[in-house]
Amino acid sequence: MKRLAFTLLIIFVMTGVGWAKVDLVTLPSRDTVQLTIYNSADMTLVRESRALTLKDGANALQFSWENTLIDPTSLEMLPKANADKIDIAELVYPPRVRNLGLWNIESGVSGKVPVEITYLTSGLSWRAFYMGTLTEDEETMRLKGYVVVTNNSGEDYENAQTRLIVGQVHILDQIAELARRQYPYGRPGEAPVMREILEEERVAGRRARVVMEKAMLAMPSEPKAIKKEGLSEYFLYTIEGTETIPNGWSKRLQSFDVEAVPVVNLYKYETERYGPSVVRFLSFKNDQEHELGQTPIPGGRLKVYRDVGDQGHLSYTGQSDFKYIPVDEDVELNLGTVADIVVEPKLMDFKTENYRFDSRRNISGWDEIRTFKVEAKNTRDIGVKVEIQRNFGTQYWDIRNSGDFGRFEKVDLDTVKYTLDLQPRSSQTFEYVIRTYHGVREEDWRP
Amino acid sequence: MNTKTKTTIVLLVILSIGSVAFGRIKLVALPERGATVIRLDNPQATLIEEERVLTLQKGLNKVDFSWKGVFIDADSIRLQALDHPDQVTLLSVSYPPNEAALVWDISSGSDYAETVRISYLLSNIDRLITYKAVADKAETFVDLKSYLVLRNFSGEDFDRARVLLDYGEAFEQGIDHEETKQMLFLKSPGVPVTKVWKFDAAVLPWDPEKLENQNVGIPVSYRIVNDDAAGLGQFALWGGKARLFQDDGHESTIFLGEDVTTLVPVGEKMELYIGDSRDIVVTQRKMTDAQINILRRNDNRQIVMYDTDEEITAKIENFKDSSAVLTMIQHIPGQWDMEECNMKYEKKDASTLEFEIQLPARTEAGPAVKELTMHYHRRHVRPGVQPPMPTPLRRR
Repeated sequence: MKRLAFTLLIIFVMTGVGWAKVDLVTLPSRDTVQLTIYNSADMTLVRESRALTLKDGANALQFSWENTLIDPTSLEMLPKANADKIDIAELVYPPRVRNLGLWNIESGVSGKVPVEITYLTSGLSWRAFYMGTLTEDEETMRLKGYVVVTNNSGEDYENAQTRLIVGQVHILDQIAELARRQYPYGRPGEAPVMREILEEERVAGRRARVVMEKAMLAMPSEPKAIKKEGLSEYFLYTIEGTETIPNGWSKRLQSFDVEAVPVVNLYKYETERYGPSVVRFLSFKNDQEHELGQTPIPGGRLKVYRDVGDQGHLSYTGQSDFKYIPVDEDVELNLGTVADIVVEPKLMDFKTENYRFDSRRNISGWDEIRTFKVEAKNTRDIGVKVEIQRNFGTQYWDIRNSGDFGRFEKVDLDTVKYTLDLQPRSSQTFEYVIRTYHGVREEDWRP
Repeated sequence: MNTKTKTTIVLLVILSIGSVAFGRIKLVALPERGATVIRLDNPQATLIEEERVLTLQKGLNKVDFSWKGVFIDADSIRLQALDHPDQVTLLSVSYPPNEAALVWDISSGSDYAETVRISYLLSNIDRLITYKAVADKAETFVDLKSYLVLRNFSGEDFDRARVLLDYGEAFEQGIDHEETKQMLFLKSPGVPVTKVWKFDAAVLPWDPEKLENQNVGIPVSYRIVNDDAAGLGQFALWGGKARLFQDDGHESTIFLGEDVTTLVPVGEKMELYIGDSRDIVVTQRKMTDAQINILRRNDNRQIVMYDTDEEITAKIENFKDSSAVLTMIQHIPGQWDMEECNMKYEKKDASTLEFEIQLPARTEAGPAVKELTMHYHRRHVRPGVQPPMPTPLRRR
């Protein structure tokens, strides 16, 4: 049922001069296939096992990968039995033939030999996405994570063990580009030529439709579990059982489902970053207290809904793309600007003083004093947390706060932050006086 | 597949008939190519040495050597008589017009079937080295394999040749035009590796909070030493592409990443950048940056020299469930002195500080957190004058 056949045929070597394609033994099918799909790059590690019939002595094995997106330089074959008696001497990419490799094997045994063939291919991908449903009081959120696996590799993978890698892998060349090379390792003295995938190659994938539907019917009714484990700097997700993903198809699988993640309604205001509006964030922590914290959460898009009424109706709150979240890290999901929380800083007073003059009687230094009144209003029925950041554009400043300014902290040399907890339908007002030092007055500033 | 040479090197002997001009068609003999050596020890050019038997007659012989469609550097062609070097003398070389060919005028003291060695530089034939390493699950060692990839796009087919690298045994191999062959050539199991995480403040962003939806990955590398202790150290490891895999504990592997290594001489380190860790987060901020000690002013009361008062904090969080050693690189240009620094550092050069920061694993209570604070003064800073950088900044 494979649209694009990997032909694997065995040719016995005629001793002496050259060899001829005499004996086409069998086309051994894959016994098992495992896909390890990356999402930081267009790359999948394929591992398949096949049983070859080898003859005592020299064997030549032909492997072709027409119409696939395999990187031929990544091909490797390892015997899984009698490894000490089987010498895979070389892999030859013959002249004037494309998408074909020949393994020359010296075998000390004859008969069936299980081998494992691994290679990298492009065209398979996965992404994470999330659905969040807030309770009416917005104190907790039901969070469901999904992974979507898509196969555009040109090859149908049937009953494949599917694994996903979360992590940022360093690669030098795009696998798709390596797959399109005329010569696997390029040629000296000339840049490799890129070739676009032909449209008909893409469209041809549709033929697999019938197979797909059969496979879908055979699927169990319960969602499959996904096993997660850390490896090196990455996380490996292993999907229970096997999957059949024909070329051109995608498949969505549930990664996790957490009933009630406690969330904080966080609102932020920073003119330089978000403009004059308040931006809503949904904040929680990827830890056990929040029913999470088993593994990092891969970056993706979250769509947030909110329960309204007891009929199970929903209201759409917004969506946010978020980055990879390590275990125990705080998550802040940007849901966009809102109008129901208002922060308004107003310049109430401006003056300058402490002028200094140089020898030519030009102005060489002065202070600027600004008085700001900041009003934060919560028009919602629930309590919220508001963070207000102010930037001064210079490191030479003094500040004096007054009123209900909540928690105050210096973020870096020219930024401060006020954190307020606002009760439902309430407002809070504070003032600050900022003195900035300019010109030679900077010299008089003391931290 | 038993190919004839696509482009042949025709070798013909023309008997000289006095000093009259000769037509270039008189094919006397086409001597078979004998022992051939492909020498790949210089990455810039490949040297071919081939032996042929010339039937020479006493007196002047003209030997025609042509290489149509073969990428031979005409100036590199040499001829060496092996049997009677004293009796067989190359008198001159002439080049026919618009042809990839030459004619040797050879003087022979007698009638000889002379074995000669013709050597020349051939382009578009070379070799690459690639590496494949599989790490164990604990990432303490790798099984290292190296492959030799011969690529021949020179226009010439070699049925059988002795291939020589700059080390190791020569081996017999044939390679046709447009053919690529990949051979296993080094297998070294159990090579110890050190895993290195590196934050360079000149390369990576300081404050991840200021980036929207973007993780700052800390580059992670494997370090291998080319020495006896590692089971290596026999010869320099050639530069090439390295792909790293890791045993996943389920009788399978995952692909960790790939990098290109430069030539690693014996005793030196190979560092392979595999990927980025997003479970170590560095948040670096400048908390103070002020001019102090204004030392001089010019007649216009403008500052010509001052010192600075600078404070940098860097919070390092380890969200991993294993410990790690982070190499942190900080840069302070020009003349400076450290007022206070809460961690030990090594001065790598005048303006580069290197910290080795031990990060324990994350615990129940949360990530392991360390905070570096550096309080320093830059001295004798002159407005508009850039202090010299001792070394150019590099990635990693």
